[in-house]
Amino acid sequence: MSCNGEIICLENIYTAYEGAAYPVIRGISLAIRQGEYAIVGGPNGAGKTTLLESINGMLTITHGNAYVCGMDVRRHGHEIRRKVGYVVQSFYFDPLTPFTAEEVITMGRYGLMGLLKRPGEADYRAAEAAIRLLGLEDIAHKPIGTLSGGQQQKVLIAQNIAKEPELMLLDEPFSNLDLCTREFVSGVLRELSRKGIAVVMVCHAFDGLPDERIRILVMRDGSLCLDETCDPDLVEAKVRRASVVQ
Amino acid sequence: MLGFIIQNNIVCNAVEAMLFTSIACAVLGVIITQINISSIGFTMAHAAFAGAAVGMFLGVSATLVAVAFSLAVALLLGPLSDRAKISTDTALGVLFGMSMAVAIFFIAYMQHIGRGFNATALLFGDVISLYRHEVYGLAVISVLAVLFVVLFYKEISAIVFNRKIAEASGIRVTPIYYGMLFIIAIAVALSLNIIGGLLLYVWLVTPAAIAYQFCYSVRSMFVVAPLIAAAISVAGAVAGLEFSLPVAPLTAVALGGVFMAAVILSPKRRITDSKS
Ligand SMILES: Nc1ncnc2c1ncn2[C@@H]1O[C@H](COP(=O)(O)OP(=O)(O)O)[C@@H](O)[C@H]1O
Ligand SMILES: [Mg+2]
Repeated sequence: MSCNGEIICLENIYTAYEGAAYPVIRGISLAIRQGEYAIVGGPNGAGKTTLLESINGMLTITHGNAYVCGMDVRRHGHEIRRKVGYVVQSFYFDPLTPFTAEEVITMGRYGLMGLLKRPGEADYRAAEAAIRLLGLEDIAHKPIGTLSGGQQQKVLIAQNIAKEPELMLLDEPFSNLDLCTREFVSGVLRELSRKGIAVVMVCHAFDGLPDERIRILVMRDGSLCLDETCDPDLVEAKVRRASVVQ
Repeated sequence: MLGFIIQNNIVCNAVEAMLFTSIACAVLGVIITQINISSIGFTMAHAAFAGAAVGMFLGVSATLVAVAFSLAVALLLGPLSDRAKISTDTALGVLFGMSMAVAIFFIAYMQHIGRGFNATALLFGDVISLYRHEVYGLAVISVLAVLFVVLFYKEISAIVFNRKIAEASGIRVTPIYYGMLFIIAIAVALSLNIIGGLLLYVWLVTPAAIAYQFCYSVRSMFVVAPLIAAAISVAGAVAGLEFSLPVAPLTAVALGGVFMAAVILSPKRRITDSKS
């Protein structure tokens, strides 16, 4: 496989945690095009989070080639992270944390702005647009720690949308959301991918998927064991079958 | 610098020293308390104390060796606490114990060979026998601390919010983090003989803790904490010298008292009794 303009292009990569005896990601190759919408499934501990953090350069890739947004992940992690949204899986915010939801959403722009610059007109506009897109107007001025888990999750998604990324990575973004919100957020993400932003999302619940063919990637033991595009009503069965150790 | 208001040289030096120390420590204290690395500040204070003892033993500048020692703590603990991956408690405990051992060793040894020196200034602080250049040093570090926060406010607030999310947003977390540790190390070492190794911690933690009771944003904490610290420290210096009381302990007790009052008065702990 060789890279020609894909937003994510991984060639046989290995990723290991500091001090671990074995690499967690073992020989993954993957190409994702602009505007593609892909779902990553697989059992707990398969390495899904690790894969996302290898893609945005937060973890060290030990072998193989990785290009994201046309840049070498092993050399340009920071530059890549400015263009890649990443909604983390687990978070906890103290109820007294002195940041409002709006401030947190504006923070999505901080990396982009570069050192010594203050948020400007464009940054506030992007944050506002993200707030409106996710319907967070009512809670924008509340301290983030006092929001419910689902609201916090939406704030973090909005933060990454405010970043206006080229690629959006989401790690189980639905885990705290109720069914309606899941469908709503799923629609928002589908809309992003229509605008050309690639969306790669780890998830276990397949009931809010858009009604069209979907790329599914299933991981097991640090490798991809399934990579195909199928109808939404087949997704669950396929992921389930591929996740079980044979 | 305040010579035009305060005629007495000793009082003037003392008030200025307390003013700059309290501003530097309180500004950095906001960061320290918000990202939960107060044990690093604590360890640095004791390493600086050990450094000062070694400096005196070697007959070189106690302050310089103190700076070197607390910078060493920053360098040793930086990588450990860097990704907040490993619990740093054990490493801190080891370094803290080692610092105290080194300090006590040299103090005891110097007493044994008849070169005994009085460690009380290093432990409890001393604002009377200050040199002018020490005051200038403190002025510089307090300006540096404030500048650091003003220039990198965006990055610092993102790191304070959540280290990992800050990194994911493309902020260069590591250089900012190390810059911060270095400024803390220098501020701690320079403040050592003003407020003492045992009391430094009070200035690093209490003003920020007081501000936290009333502030709903980090920005306001960065303003309120140094203002409170400076007001109480200057008042403490003036009162201590006026009534011949030990300045640093007196001020530390005052800060503690204000903290308790703040906790009681804090609106953050009030439960509304209105029904709508
Ligand atoms: N910080 C870490 N250090 C060492 N090993 C880790 C770390 N995080 C995860 N792992 C290991 O990597 C494997 C994959 O983890 P992860 O990517 O979080 O799985 P998933 O997201 O698919 O549930 C697990 O076996 C886990 O034990
Ligand atoms: Mg995971």
